[in-house]
Amino acid sequence: MIAAWYGVVSFMLIAYVLLDGRNFGAGMIHWIVAKTPEERRQVIAAIGPLWSWHEVWLVGFGGTLIAIFPRLMGSAFAGYYLALFLILWGLILRGISIEVGGHINDHLWQGFWDFVFVFANFLLAILFGAAAGNVVRGVPLDAQGNFSMAFFTNFSVRGNVGLLDWYTVSVAIFAAVILAAHGATYLTLKTEGPVHDRSAAFGKSLWIAVVPLIIAITVETWLVRPELPRQAMHNPICWLGILIVIISAGALASGISAHREMRAFVCSNLLLVGLLATGAAAIFPVMLHSTLKPEDSLTVYAVASSRSTLLLAAIWWPIGFVLASVYFVFISKRYFGKVSVKRDNQGFY
Amino acid sequence: MNSNIYDPAFWSRLQFGFTLTYHYLFPQLTMGLAWFLVYWKWRALRTGDEKYNQAVRFWTKIFGLNFAVGVVTGIPMEFQFGTNWAEFSKYAGGVIGQTLAMEGMFAFFLESAFIGALIWGEKRLGPRYHFMAALAVALGSWLSGYFILVTNAFMQHPVGYRIEENGLLGIASMSAYLLNPWAWIQYAHNQMAALVTGSFVVAAVGAFYALRRVCPTQSPLYLKAGTLVGLIASFLVAFPTGDQQAKMVGNHQPVTLAAMEGRFVGGPLAGVALIGQPNIAAKRLDNPIEVPGALSFLAYGTFQSYVHGLDEYPEDTWPDNIELLYYSFHLMITLGTIFILLMGLATFQNWRGRLQSSNWLLWILMLAFPFPYIANTLGWMTAELGRQPWLIYGLFRTRDGYSKVVSNGDTIFTLIGFTGLYFVLGLLFLYLVGREIHHGPGEGAVVKAEEVPQ
Repeated sequence: MIAAWYGVVSFMLIAYVLLDGRNFGAGMIHWIVAKTPEERRQVIAAIGPLWSWHEVWLVGFGGTLIAIFPRLMGSAFAGYYLALFLILWGLILRGISIEVGGHINDHLWQGFWDFVFVFANFLLAILFGAAAGNVVRGVPLDAQGNFSMAFFTNFSVRGNVGLLDWYTVSVAIFAAVILAAHGATYLTLKTEGPVHDRSAAFGKSLWIAVVPLIIAITVETWLVRPELPRQAMHNPICWLGILIVIISAGALASGISAHREMRAFVCSNLLLVGLLATGAAAIFPVMLHSTLKPEDSLTVYAVASSRSTLLLAAIWWPIGFVLASVYFVFISKRYFGKVSVKRDNQGFY
Repeated sequence: MNSNIYDPAFWSRLQFGFTLTYHYLFPQLTMGLAWFLVYWKWRALRTGDEKYNQAVRFWTKIFGLNFAVGVVTGIPMEFQFGTNWAEFSKYAGGVIGQTLAMEGMFAFFLESAFIGALIWGEKRLGPRYHFMAALAVALGSWLSGYFILVTNAFMQHPVGYRIEENGLLGIASMSAYLLNPWAWIQYAHNQMAALVTGSFVVAAVGAFYALRRVCPTQSPLYLKAGTLVGLIASFLVAFPTGDQQAKMVGNHQPVTLAAMEGRFVGGPLAGVALIGQPNIAAKRLDNPIEVPGALSFLAYGTFQSYVHGLDEYPEDTWPDNIELLYYSFHLMITLGTIFILLMGLATFQNWRGRLQSSNWLLWILMLAFPFPYIANTLGWMTAELGRQPWLIYGLFRTRDGYSKVVSNGDTIFTLIGFTGLYFVLGLLFLYLVGREIHHGPGEGAVVKAEEVPQ
């Protein structure tokens, strides 16, 4: 039961990374793939009117985390205090930049909000990447299950660690690159004209850069947490995840070279699912690893709500999920197809 | 409020209170305005009259801006449960997390999927689906309100829970938790208050155009709908919802009711103080003008009913800022009474066909729109200050709920950050909404004064 809920919570976070990750990605490469004001509106339109729907996955994840793993929520969110507020402010700036940029047809106004848009998306991709690195590396949890972290200490990965060290910084860079590649693949699918061509070309180089980074991160993870690969060996879900990564990477490469944009985008999503699922399964059952004393780590079993509470949540959650999927299918159908520079603004920004 | 600046709970309360009060300025208009959009869209479908579509197009732009600020200021709310109220989240997360998650799964997904369709999808969707989109957004916003009110109602009047073996709270009965009687009454009261905000804003824009002698078809539409809905909603806020709310506080939180009324000594034939200043040091209400027996009647049904006083309860269960609580409550009631009178008069004048020519009344309507925001805020201050010193009434104290590992410096830093960011956000919002109102619903610039029908 607890393991299943761990799966659900991971799923919600992964869904968020896939959906908002493409917005982060598109945002980071905004200036590179879109040069004229019209092209820049095209990128914003491709992210489309659904950005708040994507963010709901984060809200749903947060709420579910409080309900299912309240002790983890309390410990982790208070411990990551400042980093989380930077994320919240980044999300505020990003949302506002999407919404208000198109309101006034003036190149200074739009140029300013384009800058906020690019900056906020960079900040978010890097912070979420660093957060992922922190989850794998661990945090200085004490025996009461609490921690409070500085932004950085001595950049080492053991003992009294900070938010940033050589490992979490490299995961942050990796996250920024792979999400940029994901965003470029999305823009290739969703746009036409010069934005499409530039996204396709730039996406290709980004994916090539992802390959050595994946290898580097794998080696680094093995150095930071040597026990994780061993645990992963015995976990069939990790094998499944790795299998998904290999297959989708192959299909992604062929999709890009054959200009099959839909295939490339689907595989880009699957690749991220594979990577994140492998990571989530490998660290299970520890949700927060202690860099001070491994036995102080918080496991899912220690932080979960009571069985009856979990059972009750298992009744309404699937209903909510089915409803959310129905809205998504209905609404995605309406927004299917490419966004061009010339279209009227019905359905676009 | 314990105003010791070295007390971490103080800063976390201030930050939560500030970010929540600011956030709620936006959803109250979203929830109030949503049904105007649904109504006009429905009228447009039924009559085919283009003026209703024009109204929807105009108000949707304002709705969209308002919605966007509501979304971005809403996300920090949920996260602060973990960042600033970690001990509370650990203790009660198994209960309150359920409705916070449900809000996302059932309400926000619905709302956010269709908001884009409502704002930009008129041509793509066609009139019927566009109407459905407006309806979906309205339902989603009201549903999200319900889940949040259930969460708050649990903190006011905990039901349906049990204390697990590890000492933390879990759900014993989901139906008891979701159907908390406190939630129903507070929800009804709160939603009517949101409608008051919506109708005052609609009426204010109508009055603005009427005074400028522009938009001759749109402005009467806004004035008529705004004043009529405003009258009905203002009345319902007071009776029965506000009345029931006060009775509920009297039954379940008698010490809160005593503090709200500045009633230091218990007894029968309790009066309602129209004016008066609570004097905590001397434990009495200074310079009161009272309606004798009114409080006994309102709270318990007869003039002779016994109403408890603060003296009957230990001081450590008194709300910790009685002055602020007392004034919030009394100001809210005063404003609510004025709303009924103002909207009653405006509806009457409109019915006589005189509203368009009563410049003085139009001026008042135009300038009155901030006051429902103030009244809503005062209402929530009454509810939340009245709940003190408890975080969950009778179960868990506020001073036990904040995050022990977060330093005051951290919280002050983020509070200052929010203050700056929200100030800029507010300016931006007012500028862009002002621009839309100035631009008007499409007939603003072209209409000259002499074309206005008298």
